[in-house]
This record gives sequence, structure tokens and C-alpha cells, in this order.
Amino acid sequence: MKRNSIVLSIVLLLLAAFAWAGWANWEYRKQAAEKRLASAAKAELVADGAGAGDIPHFVSPLMSHPAPDFTLEDLSGKKVSLASYRGKAVLINFWATWCGPCKIETPWLVELRNQYASKGFEILGVSLDDLDTDDKKMLAQEKRDIAKFVAQEHMQYPVLIDGGSIDKPYGGLDALPTSYFVDRTGKVVATQLGLTSKDDIEGNIHKALGE
Amino acid sequence: MSTRSFLAAAACLGLLGLAITVQSQTPLADSHDRSILHGAAVEYLFPEQVTVSAGKPSPVALHFRIAPGFHINSHTPKEDYLIPTSLSIPETSGVALKDAIYPDGTDFTLPLDPTTKLSVYTGEFAIRARIVAPRGNHLVEASLHYQACDKNACMPPKTITVPIDVIGN
Repeated sequence: MKRNSIVLSIVLLLLAAFAWAGWANWEYRKQAAEKRLASAAKAELVADGAGAGDIPHFVSPLMSHPAPDFTLEDLSGKKVSLASYRGKAVLINFWATWCGPCKIETPWLVELRNQYASKGFEILGVSLDDLDTDDKKMLAQEKRDIAKFVAQEHMQYPVLIDGGSIDKPYGGLDALPTSYFVDRTGKVVATQLGLTSKDDIEGNIHKALGE
Repeated sequence: MSTRSFLAAAACLGLLGLAITVQSQTPLADSHDRSILHGAAVEYLFPEQVTVSAGKPSPVALHFRIAPGFHINSHTPKEDYLIPTSLSIPETSGVALKDAIYPDGTDFTLPLDPTTKLSVYTGEFAIRARIVAPRGNHLVEASLHYQACDKNACMPPKTITVPIDVIGN
């Protein structure tokens, strides 16, 4: 009887240790997942409430940090890097041909670029339209579609393609339009997600120009 | 304490440990309800299973729901630069999509551009497809391709899977 009790006590202890290990593992995973979510949420839209009728706040982890450098091609195949604009205030505007709000915003950008170019301001329009790089015919058509949009909207600033290749350093770009305002030192001083207003954009251009 | 009580307690603890360990295999991040903007704005509702006459075109109404506050372009958007909503069934599934009747879009204008009317779907909508299935049971993974926006921003185009168990009798 005494021997049985000892054996059962050991079994109980082992099972208790097993349960504790399971609980500790679950807690650890929960905390790690919460940390990941908190980190990811900073770089994405967070819909307030049940619906998304209003594009809510956009908090970018890039704020006050150097804008990630990139080199992309324009529609003519010329390589353009962000670094080559150091010393200028730059608005990196992510857009796409299928994005209605981008179409509304673009004329404002064109006007603001013309207004502030003499102060050292430039816009880099980065298209997020998908490109079928494996299909030359399709790729040519996609480039033509982008070029058509650019011509229709009189976008006289550099328009770069294949923006999807740089989406990760810029927070995933889950929604468009998304804009990053970069000052003359290359630091992100403002961000905008979704259609706001021409005044908002202009205010952020002032920030980028250091005014 | 009797041997029987010890055994019962041991069994309970064992089951508890097992349950906690199984639960720990499901990271919270995978099951957490993330922002809709990071996922799919459109959800397939039903049917999960349909029974049709084998070899004959048969109507199937596929029901979808769009997240509140969002819209997607109809199958016939008014502007050629907008991406239409479209349903497809892979040829490899063994079930053919004969044709599909899409609902008419409703007019929608963005607050900052009241002059441009868009043709969109909101809320719930149904696509009336006609499919042809051979005799037998076919797990079809149809696809719905769409592009969603709210009144201020747009999400990239997305394709969701529409799983349907098609039984051809």
C-alpha cells in the first residue's frame, strides 16, 4: 500500500510538471504573439469599430527614421534611387491605376509639385500595379496602362514602377494612396494613408521642407 | 486517500496538461481577428454543398458578404481602369463554369469626387453561376477576384477561394 502511494505520488508530480510546462509554453506563445501583433499594428491601418467607413489613424514605425532607400525603374527603364534626392524634400506617393482615391489625389499632387519645386521639393510616384515580369507581352501592356494613367493625369514628376518590391520596408502598403514625406536629410517627417485633403498634403510638404 | 482517488486525480491532471499542450500549439497570432484591411474584405457565405444533375448546366447561387464600410467594383465597373469582380473555376477541378450572372452594381460616389459615379457592390450579394459537373463528388475551389475600397483608400486586388462540394447525380 505504502509503495503504491509513493508511485502514485511520483506520477502525480510528473503530471503536474507536465501541466505546468504546457501552461508556461502557452503563456510564452501568447505573449510573443501579442508582441508581434502590437508591432505589426503600428505599420498598418487599424479600423476603428465594426466598420471602416473612415480610414482611421495611420501610425508608421518609420516616423522620425530614415526613409528606407530603394532603386526602382521608371517607365523608360531608367533606374531612380531615393538616395539621389538627398538634399531635397521628397514626397514618396504610393498609388495604382486601379485606385480611385489615388486618381482624385493626383491632380493635387501635380499642382503642389509645381508650386513647391523651386524650393527643392520633388514627388516620386511609386506605382503598385502588378507587373508580370515573366510575360513580356503582358508586361508591355501593363506598362502601357500605367503610362496612359500618367499621361491622363499629367504626372510630370518621376513615376516609378514595381513598387510592390519595396512594400515591406514601407510597412506592407495594405491600402492606397499612402504617402511618406521625407525631409532634406532623408528622414520621414510625416505619413498619410488614404485620401485626406490638399491642405493636409501641403501642410506635410511644409514639414518636409522644414518650414 | 484511496488508490482510486489518486488515479482519478492523476487522470484529471493528465487531461489538463494534454489540453493545455494542444492549445499551446495554436499561436494567437494565427487566430486573432486582425484588421480587415490586412485580410479579406469579402467573405464567402454559402452554399458549402450543392447537388446537380450530372452533365447538365445547373444553376448555383453563390452568396458573399462585404465587410461594413467597404465596397468592391461590380462585374461591370464604369471606368476601364477599375478591376471588375469576377468568378472563375479552375479547369482542373472537373467542374466547368458555363456562365455567371452577376448582380447589377449600385451607384456610389466618393465624397471628394461627387461627379464620378462608380458601380459597386456593398453588403451581401449573390452570383448566379451555371455549372456542369460530371457524376460523382467534386471538391471545387472556385475563385472570386475583386478589388475593395472604402471611401478614402483602396486595398490591392485580392482573390479568395470559394470552396464548394459539388455532387453530380
